[in-house]
Amino acid sequence: MLKNYFKIAIAVLKRRKFFTFLSLFGISFTIIILMVMTAFIDKVVNDTYPDKKRDRSLYINKMELRGKESMNGGAPSYYFLKHYVGSMKTPVKFAISSGFNSTNTYVNNRKIVINYKYTNADYWEVLDYKFSEGKPLTKQQIDNAEKVAVITEDMKKEYFGDSGTVLGKYIEADNVKYRICGVVKTLPITSYLFYADVYLPITVTKTNLMSDKGYMGNFTAIVLAANTGDVPKMKKEFDGIMAKVPIPGKEWDHVYSHADSYIQGYLRTGNETNSGMLYAITAVTLFALFVMLLPTLNLVNVNITRIMERSSEIGVRKAFGASSFTLVYQFIVENLILTFLGGLIGIVLSLVAMYVINSANLIANLNLELNFTVLFYTVITCIVFGLLSGVYPAWRMSKLNVVTALKAQ
Amino acid sequence: MFKHLFKMIWNKKKQNSLLIVEILLSFLVIFAVFTFGLNSYNNYAKPMGIDYQNVWAISYNNTLKTNNGDSLKLFYDNMVDNIKAMPKVIDAAHTSANIPFSTSHMSTGLTHNGDHIQDVNSFMVDENYPKTLNVKLLDGRWYNKTDVGSKQKVIVINNKLKERMFGKASAIGKLYNDDDGKKGVKIIGVLDDIKFNGDYQSLEYAIYNRIDTSSYRWLGKILVKVSPDANAAFESQLYKFMANNLKDSNIEIEHLTNKLTAYNKFTLVPLIILSIVAAFLIINVALGIFGVLWYNINKRRGEIGLRRAVGAPGSSVSAQLVSEAMILATLSLIVGAFFAVQFPLLNVFDLPASVYLLAMLLAVIFIYLLVLVCSLYPGKQASAILPAVALHEE
Repeated sequence: MLKNYFKIAIAVLKRRKFFTFLSLFGISFTIIILMVMTAFIDKVVNDTYPDKKRDRSLYINKMELRGKESMNGGAPSYYFLKHYVGSMKTPVKFAISSGFNSTNTYVNNRKIVINYKYTNADYWEVLDYKFSEGKPLTKQQIDNAEKVAVITEDMKKEYFGDSGTVLGKYIEADNVKYRICGVVKTLPITSYLFYADVYLPITVTKTNLMSDKGYMGNFTAIVLAANTGDVPKMKKEFDGIMAKVPIPGKEWDHVYSHADSYIQGYLRTGNETNSGMLYAITAVTLFALFVMLLPTLNLVNVNITRIMERSSEIGVRKAFGASSFTLVYQFIVENLILTFLGGLIGIVLSLVAMYVINSANLIANLNLELNFTVLFYTVITCIVFGLLSGVYPAWRMSKLNVVTALKAQ
Repeated sequence: MFKHLFKMIWNKKKQNSLLIVEILLSFLVIFAVFTFGLNSYNNYAKPMGIDYQNVWAISYNNTLKTNNGDSLKLFYDNMVDNIKAMPKVIDAAHTSANIPFSTSHMSTGLTHNGDHIQDVNSFMVDENYPKTLNVKLLDGRWYNKTDVGSKQKVIVINNKLKERMFGKASAIGKLYNDDDGKKGVKIIGVLDDIKFNGDYQSLEYAIYNRIDTSSYRWLGKILVKVSPDANAAFESQLYKFMANNLKDSNIEIEHLTNKLTAYNKFTLVPLIILSIVAAFLIINVALGIFGVLWYNINKRRGEIGLRRAVGAPGSSVSAQLVSEAMILATLSLIVGAFFAVQFPLLNVFDLPASVYLLAMLLAVIFIYLLVLVCSLYPGKQASAILPAVALHEE
């Protein structure tokens, strides 16, 4: 039966080339836009380089003080993390890093902008950076406040050119020379929790980190549980600590911070009343709807036109006893075949689009790619698209009166 | 004539209603793109207000141990004087972190004659600020030495804020109350508007406070105007100078031109993406309308043949089909305009009404052109139908 439908669908497609082109154009174009969008979101949200242990980790990266008239939102301070988060019992590892700061360095009368980040020893055990040379910073190096650094491949290229190994060489940042002990794969800036060009030991900061007892600062913590089962326990423990954290001043009456999963933490705005998650989901849904709505309407229009062309065929089938359900089913299957064909073209074209976007280097080191998640969403989109644009014309068709349908010819 | 055309449309209302919705949605999409584009263009057409070429911004953080305002002032004034004495430096000024084209913003509010104005950008600047950025003073005077230690709090405002508060009248010497509880702040000058959010963003209200001794603790930017021949070698010299002066500080030197390019991307990238998506949607819709009209004409061969047979010329047949399509477009545009006009009425995105209206007008013209182009070819085809052939088929 399905084979028959398939044959009919192909025959219909061949009949009116212009309409076929129209339908396929609409479908494939929509698929391209949605695929590129999914690939981008997937890359930003689901890429597990360098935090492979994401399912066991919780991220503490926002802090909010709220009073009657004022609010202050941002990243937590080193003191807050060390003093309160550091006292947690459940985590086996406790990574702290600063947000990235920029500075300049001048090599051979050339200016280089360096984004650097301070890290503790656990940072290198919680995260799995890919090293093309050397090793991560060790606990001993960090405890001894050695002037060592891990740099990225891009920074190596920019600073040293295409020379061989750079291990043991020195890089200058903020007027201090650091010995390079490792080179890692560069991250796109969208992974802003881990992004930097140069990673330095937290002990070499120029300021005394513990002297500032305020809660607001420029640091992020990742707490790692022994296994995934411990994550809820860890979250609960953190919430327990937050409930007891003293309010830092009389102008405030609430202090908020959360141990989040990666996505929650990534989208948190640092303002309890504005959920970043809600914003992101609304924006993505609206955009997808906006992109899908017009092509769907167009497809419905074209489908109705095409289906009415076949009124005699439908009339004959009805006259011989085919139920409305069978006809609707047949038409929807035909339409799904059409959408999948359009989807296939769309996939090929979106590969081209992704290639163009990647080579245009809109965001450095962010390489969009096709993977199973993206493909899965594409198939879902095709089905939704096919159903949406098929159901109404099919229903109109099934209502067709046998006599008028046959008389029309 | 029109009555007849409406009847023809009404007879096929089911199919036409879908077309109407499609044209309506296209209108809304086009309206959105035009509004966004026109607004950006309007802002782009206004002058920047400053000379940002060859201006560098040095970022530092105060790492001096002392909290004494006077000694901090002495130290930092001395530092700026030393920078000014460097060979390729034309001028230099201390400011708060919200320099032009930075993502850092500070805002406040003020009350004047019972009118509460919110979202006023508040800048902390020193006496060299207008010269460094080459911004014009429109009225009154800029800060000078006489303001040091004066009891009366004085302020310089920008032109947009002046127009909001006083319209055409002069603002000099007038007083207002600020939101921090200070009463009777006296306006001494009006500075030209600066597009500190980049080429494509609208002008905003701004007040320029004079830096006082207590604020040196948290200031972190120095703007430096350099001569055009200042190169990376000189920049590294400046960097070394800063690093030696502020031993434990993090120093960064940025160029305002680069910051502007980066900031403009915030507006341009969404506009470009939106335009590409809209362009594809419109191509899609255009082909759809074209296809449906073409099909309709093929279905109405009998009717058209009959009209030709009783003497209607080909041009009148094609005119009928084109005007049918135009009436459909008009119907959707009426509904579309109803939605679109809500934007200026409810002042949704705080844009000037003229932008919305112009965008609406352009979108209407665009949709009419689109429908016209899509219906011309099918109309021409219809006029070519020979009555004998068409009627023979029946």
